[in-house]
Amino acid sequence: MDEFIRIEHLNQRFDLSEPWLARMIYRRPKKFLDAVDDVSFGIERGKTYALVGESGSGKSTIARMAVGLLTPTGGRVLIDGQDLHDGSLSVAEQRRIRQRLQMVFQSPYASLNPRWRVGSILAEPLRVFRLVDGPQAEQARVHELLEQVGLSASDARRFPHEFSGGQRQRISIARALASKPDFIVCDEPTSALDVSVQAQVLNLLKQLQRDLGLTYLFITHDLAVVRVMAHRIGVLKSGKLVEEQATEKLIESPQSDYTRMLIRSAPRIHRAAS
Amino acid sequence: MNGEKSAWQRFLASDFFYDFKRSPVTIVSFVIVVTLILMAILADLVAPTNPFDPGSLNLMNGFTPPMEPNAFTGETFLLGTDDQGRDLLSAIIYGLRVSLFVGLTAVILAMFIGVSLGLLAGYRGGWVDAVIMRIADIQVTFPSILIAVLIFGVARGLLPPDLRDELAITVLIVAIGLSEWVPFARTVRGTTMVEKEKEYVQAARLIGLGSSQIMVRHILPNVLSPVLVIATITLALAIIAEATLSFLGVGAPPTEPSLGTLIRIGQDFLFSGEWWILLFPAVTLLALALSVNLLGDWLRDTLNPRLK
Ligand SMILES: Nc1ncnc2c1ncn2[C@@H]1O[C@H](COP(=O)(O)OP(=O)(O)OP(=O)(O)O)[C@@H](O)[C@H]1O
Ligand SMILES: [Mg+2]
Repeated sequence: MDEFIRIEHLNQRFDLSEPWLARMIYRRPKKFLDAVDDVSFGIERGKTYALVGESGSGKSTIARMAVGLLTPTGGRVLIDGQDLHDGSLSVAEQRRIRQRLQMVFQSPYASLNPRWRVGSILAEPLRVFRLVDGPQAEQARVHELLEQVGLSASDARRFPHEFSGGQRQRISIARALASKPDFIVCDEPTSALDVSVQAQVLNLLKQLQRDLGLTYLFITHDLAVVRVMAHRIGVLKSGKLVEEQATEKLIESPQSDYTRMLIRSAPRIHRAAS
Repeated sequence: MNGEKSAWQRFLASDFFYDFKRSPVTIVSFVIVVTLILMAILADLVAPTNPFDPGSLNLMNGFTPPMEPNAFTGETFLLGTDDQGRDLLSAIIYGLRVSLFVGLTAVILAMFIGVSLGLLAGYRGGWVDAVIMRIADIQVTFPSILIAVLIFGVARGLLPPDLRDELAITVLIVAIGLSEWVPFARTVRGTTMVEKEKEYVQAARLIGLGSSQIMVRHILPNVLSPVLVIATITLALAIIAEATLSFLGVGAPPTEPSLGTLIRIGQDFLFSGEWWILLFPAVTLLALALSVNLLGDWLRDTLNPRLK
């Protein structure tokens, strides 16, 4: 089995304590929340792993640790065998690993800087990772990225507010592709979109996976979406992985009550399965 | 070109311009501010005389009332003259230049300090935030004019006597600038705390941008419209602060009198019947500060409809 990413005994404990002085005065103990509790799984190269679970179950927290935005309080994230959060790596090595990891976010509105033109948004990763030489090559690459996600080259001059929600998610995807990643975390990329637009964006993601050999960690609470996208599914409940299976198997014969409940509350899946 | 409207056409069609057209008070304020600024910039061309060229002064012209010929020389002055025979209109135009220069540079200084500290406090949070905002809290419990007087006093004490007059304007700018940074810092901090949680900032962190780059390139452009509003309102405050300091005699030196200095000179003559020496500089100051303030209020309402 050729795994791109392996997550081992991952933990994230948030300190929710009141300020020191208040604790002293009211004699309250420190309070902690184990948002992610001993989670382990791996994703095969070129495949999609879906994390499902209700709101607050820790999906986004895992996502942020998997791309290096948040340091785990325990456990490891291995990218091709290398520990992403290893403090002993040099800055250059960290950079090289991180360049391979990207993310597409949930909100089509908050994920693009409203004051930047689309062209600048897409050019930023190109500059930071020095992927192009000179303004002409940069512009050519920006146009190529826009066309790759089904937009037109002239959109580079426009601002994010001139686009629809679905188009903005396409811009987000183009930005994620700009640094030529191997792995993209999609944190509920379609949950803010209309159903018809959802399908288009999902198809785009699938097609990009086929063309570029991308590995996805796909986060959602919509089991209908999961069925289209994922090869494997992990079910998360209060920070713990309660079940993990290949997609069809999990939907046909769920092992835990929690998974059964999730499937029952997803109307489209339910109808398809019965 | 390819059917797109020019920036000017788009501006004329914007809500911003529509709101502006519908508010007569704002239009009047705008005209007053622009006129006064133009007069200050073009003082050398607009002013009838150069009031600080001793050669052009004629003591015989002293205390000429507005629009009346002088009893000895027969010269007429639109706004009259002061005790030295200086044309008041010219003095006001040059004073306006000093007042506006001090006000604008002080606001730029306050803006620079406040925006930087606000970005830092909002983005870093934790003890950095705590320290910066406690300093701000302490500072606002003192009237800003008091802080300005303090800074002015300390700075003058530290400077060698022969530099005091030369640097008086600079000291004035620093004193006012340091006393007005708090509103900028508080607003920018609040907006930064909201913006930094947005996903576009996460995306910037993901490609490895450092905090200073994220603050300046990503967050700063998104906090600028409230900053513009505060800057306008602070400009009115700074102009008044400058006038107050100069009125108290701790501001602009007599060699470079501002509107405040002119008012201080004028009050000596109020009770001896030469009312115009006080009145005209005071009215000019009032018109300037009021118009700038009204413009600021309008900007706030227009850019931030929820705060109306
Ligand atoms: N920075 C933080 N500090 C404290 N608690 C946090 C922080 N981030 C997340 N949490 C808490 O951790 C838990 C898991 O949050 P997370 O965002 O991972 O959930 P999620 O599964 O993505 O939910 P959703 O479907 O609503 O996006 C929640 O209870 C949340 O309140
Ligand atoms: Mg989430």
